[in-house]
Amino acid sequence: MKQATASVASRCADLVGADHVVTSAADVSACEVDGLLPSAVVRPGSAAEIAEILRLAAAERLAVIPMGGRTKLAVGMPPQRYDLALDLTRMNRILAFDPADLTLGVEPGVRFAQLERELAAQRQFLPLAPAFASRATLGGMIAANADSPLRHAHGSARDQLLGMEFVTGAGVAAKSGARVVKNVTGYDLHQLLAGSLGTLAVITRLNFRTLPLPPEERMFVASFGAPQEALSFCRAIAASPLQPRMVEAFNPATARIFNAARAPADRWSVTVAAAGHRAVVERHERDLARMARELCAPDFAAFDGPEQDAVFAALREFPRLVLEAFPSAAIFRVAVLPGTMPALLADMIAVCERHRLEPAILVRAAGVVYAALLPPAIDAAATGRLAPASRELMQASMGLGARPMIEWCPLALKREVNIWPPPGNDQVLAEKLKRVFDPQAILAPGRFLGGV
Amino acid sequence: MPLNPTLLRELERLLGPQGFLARAEDLMLYENDGSVEAGRPDCIVFPRHKQDVVAIVKLAIRYDTPLVGRGAGTGLSGGALARRGGIVVTFSRMNHILEIDAENLRAVVEPGVVNLDLTRAVESQGLYFAPDPSSQRACTIGGNVSENSGGPHTLAYGVTSNHVTGLELVLPDAEVVRVGGATIETPGYALTRLLVGSEGTFALVTEATVRLLRAPEDVRTLLAIYDRVEDATNTVVELTARGITPAACEMLDGCTLRAVEAYVHAGFPLDSAAVLLIEVEGLREAVEAQSAEIEEICGLCGAREVRRARDSRERDLLWKGRKNAFGAIGRLSPSYYVLDGVIPRTKLTPTLLHIEEVGKRYGFTIGNVFHAGDGNLHPLILFDQRDPAQLPRVVAAAGEIIQFCVEMGGTLTGEHGVGMEKSELMPLMFSDADLDLMRGVRAVFNPAGLLNPDKILPLGKGCGELRVQPLAGAPAPPA
Repeated sequence: MKQATASVASRCADLVGADHVVTSAADVSACEVDGLLPSAVVRPGSAAEIAEILRLAAAERLAVIPMGGRTKLAVGMPPQRYDLALDLTRMNRILAFDPADLTLGVEPGVRFAQLERELAAQRQFLPLAPAFASRATLGGMIAANADSPLRHAHGSARDQLLGMEFVTGAGVAAKSGARVVKNVTGYDLHQLLAGSLGTLAVITRLNFRTLPLPPEERMFVASFGAPQEALSFCRAIAASPLQPRMVEAFNPATARIFNAARAPADRWSVTVAAAGHRAVVERHERDLARMARELCAPDFAAFDGPEQDAVFAALREFPRLVLEAFPSAAIFRVAVLPGTMPALLADMIAVCERHRLEPAILVRAAGVVYAALLPPAIDAAATGRLAPASRELMQASMGLGARPMIEWCPLALKREVNIWPPPGNDQVLAEKLKRVFDPQAILAPGRFLGGV
Repeated sequence: MPLNPTLLRELERLLGPQGFLARAEDLMLYENDGSVEAGRPDCIVFPRHKQDVVAIVKLAIRYDTPLVGRGAGTGLSGGALARRGGIVVTFSRMNHILEIDAENLRAVVEPGVVNLDLTRAVESQGLYFAPDPSSQRACTIGGNVSENSGGPHTLAYGVTSNHVTGLELVLPDAEVVRVGGATIETPGYALTRLLVGSEGTFALVTEATVRLLRAPEDVRTLLAIYDRVEDATNTVVELTARGITPAACEMLDGCTLRAVEAYVHAGFPLDSAAVLLIEVEGLREAVEAQSAEIEEICGLCGAREVRRARDSRERDLLWKGRKNAFGAIGRLSPSYYVLDGVIPRTKLTPTLLHIEEVGKRYGFTIGNVFHAGDGNLHPLILFDQRDPAQLPRVVAAAGEIIQFCVEMGGTLTGEHGVGMEKSELMPLMFSDADLDLMRGVRAVFNPAGLLNPDKILPLGKGCGELRVQPLAGAPAPPA
C-alpha cells in the first residue's frame, strides 16, 4: 500500500511539480473527509493540470475530492473511497473584472473575503454572504450551493452565475454558459454543476454578475414572544410593497449563540435589512416600525454601522457559530413555502422537546428554515438522542411536503441517519448524468444524494 | 418518408378527430414558427392531459417516429419545427391553470397556458408572472420553459429559469418524472435548471410550478429621445457603469421607431435617431430617486428630451410600440431576419457601428430594437424572401454580426434559443469537447434522438459539412 501511495504521489508530482504534491501527516489530515484521509494532497495550478490529474485518477480509479477553503468538507455523506485531495487554493486569480459591465470571472480558489474587498474598491459586490466567509472560496460556495441572508433580495448563488469552465471526471476540460448577463446558448451545464458537491466535475473558472453597492443601508430588529408572532411579522413584510435585502427570524437559543447586543436572548427576533437611497431606507424604517407596533412587538430598533455589520456577520456565520459552540450539533436545512413555516416550526420544537434537545432555529423568510439540534458537548447521552430526533425531524418535514437535508452533523450521526432525503423518481436521471460526467465514479463518490 | 398509416390511425383513435390533424392544408400551418426556418410535420396531435402525452410518446417509440413539442409557435429559432418530420405535439388544449397559491407566490400550470393569461388570472391579487417576451399575448409557458424566454423586464427580474421551481415531464421513453418542487431549492442535482432552456430536446413538459411576483407599488416609464444613435448607446453604458439598474431599458433606432410609429402611434418622434424606453419600478421613493438619476444621465449623454409617461394609457402605448416592433417592420419589408446576439454592455457603441457597416456592405437595411440594458441585441435584417438569392446573403450578413458579438465576448443568443437556426454557429462559442459533453447530457434524457431531433447541436460534426470558420486572431471563446 505504501508503495502504491508513493507511486501515485510521484506520478502526480510529474504532472504538477513536486512542490505541489504533499503527503505529510499534517497536510493529509487537514483534508480529512468524514474520517477518511487521502494518500496525497495535490495542488494544481491550472485547468490543464487538473485534466491530467483526473485522467490519471480515472485510469487508476483513484477517488478525488476537490476542495477550496475546506469549510464544507463535512457536508454530504461519507465518501465511499478517497485517494487524492485536489486542493484548488493555488488557483486564486481574479481573471476578469469589468466594472462597467458588472461582470466578473474568477478561478475557483479565490476567497470570498478577498473578492469582496476587490469589488468594494469599485463600489460593487457579489450578492452572496457565505458562512466561513474569511476562508470560503468561490468554487466551494458554488459546488455546495452555499446559502446566504442576501438570498431574500438577490436569489441564491446559482442565480449570480453566468458561466463556468470545468474538468469532468474523465479529465475533459469543457465549459458552458457565458460571461455576459443574458444567454441561452447551449445547455446550462454550469447550473447542473452548481450544488453538485464536486461529484460531476472540478470547477476551474466561474463567471458572475456583480451589483453596485447600495448608497445607504440600515438594519432593523423586532422581537416577539412566540415564533408564530415572528412569522406573522415576516408575512406582513412579504405582503407589503417593501423590498428588503433580507428578512431573517431566529429563536432565543440562536440569539444566545449570536451573542449580538441587538437580539434579546429571551425572545424571537426578526432582523430586516433595507438598502438603497436614503428615502427608501427611511420608508422601510417607518413602515416596519408601524407593522411591528401593529403586531405588538415589545421591541423595535433600527441601527447601522458596526452594529449592523455584527448582526449581519452573525446571520451569515450561523453554521460556524453553532458548531463552535456545539461541535456535535446537527444542522437541518429545510426549504419550505412560507405558508408551511408555522407548522414546520411547531413540529421542530415538539420533536426537540420530546428528545430533550434544544434547537437553535434560523428562518430565512424567503423559504429556508435552519434548525440546529444542540447536544451539549459534555453530555454523551444527549448525543445519543440526536439520531432518533433527527429521524423524526426528517419525517416531520417530509410530512409537510419538504425535502430536508442535514447540512452539518457529526460523523457518528451519518452512520445512523442518511443526511439526504430519499431520492425522487428523477434519481435515475441523476445517476445517468453522473456516468456521463464521471464514468469511473472517481469524483467524491458516495457523498451526494442517493449515494451518487 | 410518410408515416406508417397504422400509427396515424392509432393517434387519431387516441385523440379523436378534434385532437388530430394530418391533411396537407392543416400541416402547412405548422411548418413555420416566428423564424425564417421551415419543417413539415406528418401529423399534429393535441393531447388533453399527461396520459395522452404518455400514450403519444409510446406510439412514437413503437413506430420510431420523431416527436416535437409545440406551444403557440411564436419561437424565433425553429425550436418547435419538425426538422425531420414526424409528430408535432401541440399543447394548446393543455391550457389550464391548475393552482394559484397567492400566499406562497406560486402557480401550477399546464404547458399550454398563455403567458399573459397567467398574469391576468392573478393580477386582481396584486401578482404577476415576470417573464414577459414580446409575444406574451400568444406564447405559452411551456414554450417559455423550453426556450428559457426573456423579455424587457428580465433586466431586473431574470429569465424564465429564475421563475420556475419544478416541472413534471414525460421523457422520450414515456416515463413521467418530477423534478424540483414548489420550494426555492431542493436537494439533489438542479435538474429543473438544466431542463429550462433545453429547447424541447430533453422531455415534454406537462406541468410547471412557477413563481409569481408582487406587483410593484409604483412604475414610471421614461422615453429618452436622441438625435444620434451613439448618444443613446452611451447612455446605456453610462447607466450600467454607474450601477443604475432600471426594470427595463429598451432601445429602438430611427428605422424601427418610424415603422412602429406609423403603426402604433406610440408617440416616438419621427425625426429622432434613437429612443430609449426606460422603466423603473418599486417603492415610490425608489422610483422617484432612480428616475431623477436616469433623467440626469440621459441629459448628460445628449438626449434631446426625456418624457415621462403621464398615465397607464401612455405607458401601455409606449410598450405596445416596443412589443409590436417586429410586426411593424412588415410595413417596411416583406421579410426580416432577427438576430439575438448578446455583448458586454460596454461594447454597445462599436457593435452597433459594426452592424451598420455590415448592412451597407451587403446592401440590406438593418433595424435595431433591443434589450439595451442587458446587451441583448435584436438586429432586424430587412429583405425579400421571394427573391431566392437574398436569403443566403442575409444568413451570411447575420453570421458576420454574430461572429462580431462573440469576438466582443458575447454569445449567439440571449433569449430566442439556438434551435435549428443557429446550431451550425455553436462552434463559434464551444469546442468539440464542450459539444460532445452536451451531446452526452442530451443522450441521458433522449438517447435515441426521438425528441426534437437535429436541434441546438451542430449536425456537421466531423463530416466536413457546414462548419463555421474559426475567427482569425480572435480571442479564445468566452467561458
